[in-house]
Amino acid sequence: MPALLVEIGVEDLPAKEAGLIAQAFRENFLRALAEARIPHGKDRLFWTLRRFALLMEEVAEKQEDFEEEVRGPAVAVGLDAQGNLTPAAQGFLRRYGAGPENLIRRRVGAKEYLLLRLKRPGQPTAEVLRELVPQVVRGIPCSKSMRWDGKWSFLRPIRWVVALFGSEVVPLAVGGVPAGRRSQGHRFRGGAVEVRVPAEYAEKLRASFVLADPEERRALLLHAIRAVEEEYQAKAALSEDLWDLLLGQTEWPKPVLGRIPPEFLELPEPVVVAALREEGKFVPFTQGNRIAQVFLGFAEGEGDPELVRRGYEQVVGIRLRDARDFFCQDRKRALASRVPELKEIMYEARLGTVWDRVERIRFLCEILAEKLALPPQLLARAAFLAKADLLTVMVREFPELEGTIGGIYARLDGEAEEVARAIEEHVRPRGKGDELPQTPLGVALSLAEKLDGVIGPIRVGEVPTGSRDPYGVRRRGSAAVRLILEKGLRLDLFALIDEAAGQYPGEEPAEKVKEFLWERLRSALEERGVSHDVAEAVMAQRSGDCLGVWERAQALQDLVGQKELVDLALAFSRVRNITRGSEVDRFSPELFLEEAEHALWHAYLLVRERVAEAMADHRPAQALKALLALKAPIDRYFDEVLVMHEDQRIRENRLGFLTALVHLFLQVADLSRLVVPG
Amino acid sequence: MRTLQDLILALHLFWKEQGCAIVEPYDLEKGAGTFNPATFFGVLGPRPWRVAYVEPSRRPADGRYGENPIRFGLHHQYQVILKPPPPAIQDLYLRSLEAVGIVPQKHDVKFAHDDWESPTLGAWGVGWQIWLDGMEITQFTYFQQMGGVDLDPVSVELTYGLERIALFLQGRESAFELRWAEGLTYGEMFRERERQFSIYHFEKASVERARLLFDFHEAEARECLAQDLVYPAYDHTLRCSHLFNTLDARGALATAERETYIARVRALARACAEAYLREVAGARAPR
Repeated sequence: MPALLVEIGVEDLPAKEAGLIAQAFRENFLRALAEARIPHGKDRLFWTLRRFALLMEEVAEKQEDFEEEVRGPAVAVGLDAQGNLTPAAQGFLRRYGAGPENLIRRRVGAKEYLLLRLKRPGQPTAEVLRELVPQVVRGIPCSKSMRWDGKWSFLRPIRWVVALFGSEVVPLAVGGVPAGRRSQGHRFRGGAVEVRVPAEYAEKLRASFVLADPEERRALLLHAIRAVEEEYQAKAALSEDLWDLLLGQTEWPKPVLGRIPPEFLELPEPVVVAALREEGKFVPFTQGNRIAQVFLGFAEGEGDPELVRRGYEQVVGIRLRDARDFFCQDRKRALASRVPELKEIMYEARLGTVWDRVERIRFLCEILAEKLALPPQLLARAAFLAKADLLTVMVREFPELEGTIGGIYARLDGEAEEVARAIEEHVRPRGKGDELPQTPLGVALSLAEKLDGVIGPIRVGEVPTGSRDPYGVRRRGSAAVRLILEKGLRLDLFALIDEAAGQYPGEEPAEKVKEFLWERLRSALEERGVSHDVAEAVMAQRSGDCLGVWERAQALQDLVGQKELVDLALAFSRVRNITRGSEVDRFSPELFLEEAEHALWHAYLLVRERVAEAMADHRPAQALKALLALKAPIDRYFDEVLVMHEDQRIRENRLGFLTALVHLFLQVADLSRLVVPG
Repeated sequence: MRTLQDLILALHLFWKEQGCAIVEPYDLEKGAGTFNPATFFGVLGPRPWRVAYVEPSRRPADGRYGENPIRFGLHHQYQVILKPPPPAIQDLYLRSLEAVGIVPQKHDVKFAHDDWESPTLGAWGVGWQIWLDGMEITQFTYFQQMGGVDLDPVSVELTYGLERIALFLQGRESAFELRWAEGLTYGEMFRERERQFSIYHFEKASVERARLLFDFHEAEARECLAQDLVYPAYDHTLRCSHLFNTLDARGALATAERETYIARVRALARACAEAYLREVAGARAPR
């Protein structure tokens, strides 16, 4: 079976989006082929910012045949009283060119209908592709699509299309461009590239200075970066953003090494890093916490490296001179003097200005200082200054320096080192993989900032839905939970939210905030490898002590699969089931009649003490271990005791006791939620 | 290209050959060549339109007292409008670089994603900044909307940063060292002007009078629009836009107020675009 190649040639896509567009192209294409019942072999995706292409091996030459049923008129309409075809039924047959012998009757819902079973022979693949490929391309989601000739819209204009099935061109058109076998090589070196058969695509392009395989480009970039790291004993200051841009920016990357003019090496390292990697232009390197003198750029194509290097150095010089100007301009005033101007920056219409936000963060910090035993004045000072760098030229020009530059300026202003560090750290983690703050004050300030960014928007009704999350509430919620779990913060988050409730405008109850954070905690547990049922078990009762929930989850997860836990879970489930609906956990041992009741009661008293001790020490594994001792007495209890005694007093006493037992378990986990084998 | 004026002349010649009308800068302050009526009105409506011109562009907030080698309160743009754009427009642009003496093959040329938007004009488009060895030398935009009106056909706008290209061509680090003409530097021509305008815009301009003038020109624009005098209305809109830029550079506008001023200019621009399509593009004038 022949191979299929479809390449869409475009004007330069945004470097960051090119890969996503290609992925969506592939997914749509594979889905469409499956729906069209066209089997195929392995596929390979190629892309650069000027093209995306899918190469598929062993593509069937025609669709698989299939049978289709079409529904005609209801029997009551299609047949008359004598069972003869009415004009409606005759028309139905005519439309499909079928005879009365092909008709079948079937009940669909309440009525019986006449149906035709039609054999549909598969169409030739080339034929199907004519419609399918343009639809596949139309279905690619673009961040912002444009029109270029009035009819089509896409991320950038479509300029050439290659569609080869075996050695034949498939006569289709995308974006008004008819397909052929002519691709384009590199903008300057390549020229037109005739592709005879799909298999030679990548090699033909390589000969025309295009590395169409992104993995090959990635390897090349990485190799060049590692070489510089080794030669200069430096470390590349890469970021996810920078990587995406580098990978998407060139079809034929050519590493060019430049040097930073020495007079700029005195600028703070983060400033130089930000200036160099702005828009994905250059890869900066650091040596310890100093900037290295070399930087790396990746030129598109085979230019003159000497000319390009000079150009790069000129540009870097210009941008760093800018940065130095910004620095001098900013340093004319102390950071603290800018704080009142935060009253002029709107945060959100109902939540007020950034200054209002700072006041709320300060309030949260006050509570946190007390709960976490931190120096309140220093934390308050850090909170007061935290957002002031939003007013600096540096942050306006390099938004990624938010927080970082505040810390640098604070230090230069003579603020306490802990304060400067806290300001620097309070924006972390910026995203999922980002580092957490390291200092206790930084952790607390970051937590306060994140919580304010969750409580505020939710209280005024901005709960994130689907992909809509304009205030980054989800990101902040996850960050807050992460801080608590990974920094081991023992505090009642829900009590904190209640205490701060009065600081927030908006009609939504604080309860909504708790619910939201509780669900963030659930995701956090599952991301950390806690299975769904274990999370259910430890989250059966809501608690503001997120760290405690996490510790209990770990303890329980460690026992999953062990027989003794399964047995205990089964035993507990019996207790849980029979007490469902009872809340009262009062009982008098004098009313116990059976030996087994007394045995369980004694075991309960002992275990209760051990659980209380273990939980007070935050050792849920010990608590779980203690609970294991209840397995045998519970089993015996159910073998020998009839809970639903005919005497109401006896019955209620037994239920009260078992409910107390349930409550003991729930302090650790609701083991009845565990999925047990068998 | 030994001088900046050679550069301008070479671009004129090149774009003249591509069928552009070479026109003169418009005689009012504006932040970019896009504000020139040859672009603002030219891209509206269905008629094909090709034009090229130099536009001295005033951005008061970008002034640096003549002390920064590449930032100025007034810089020079070379502006080209192609409506509708030819399919090989990227190649055509690269050929224009060759025409001014830049051999793209020898350099690192990147079409780097940069969508453009002018909140005051109610205009947006998508496109690129062209990086020549990392230096941004041209803004390349497929206009999608102007004055809040969807464009059909779309236009391509090319905006060359003349100072930056000249820095590159003349191998200089500071624009003030550039030769404008033989024996005449950019610094001699413009440095003192930069210094004075920076003082004026950042320190001296009367906020009170600028506000009054804004109100005055806004009222005048409204009056003109009421009588279907589109071009005079647009002139007053341009003046409002520049006064807004002045107030902004002067640091006189708080965030919320800033938004309000932008919205006021945008409302005028939108009304001008609509009036133009209704009154002018429809029948009375050639374009």
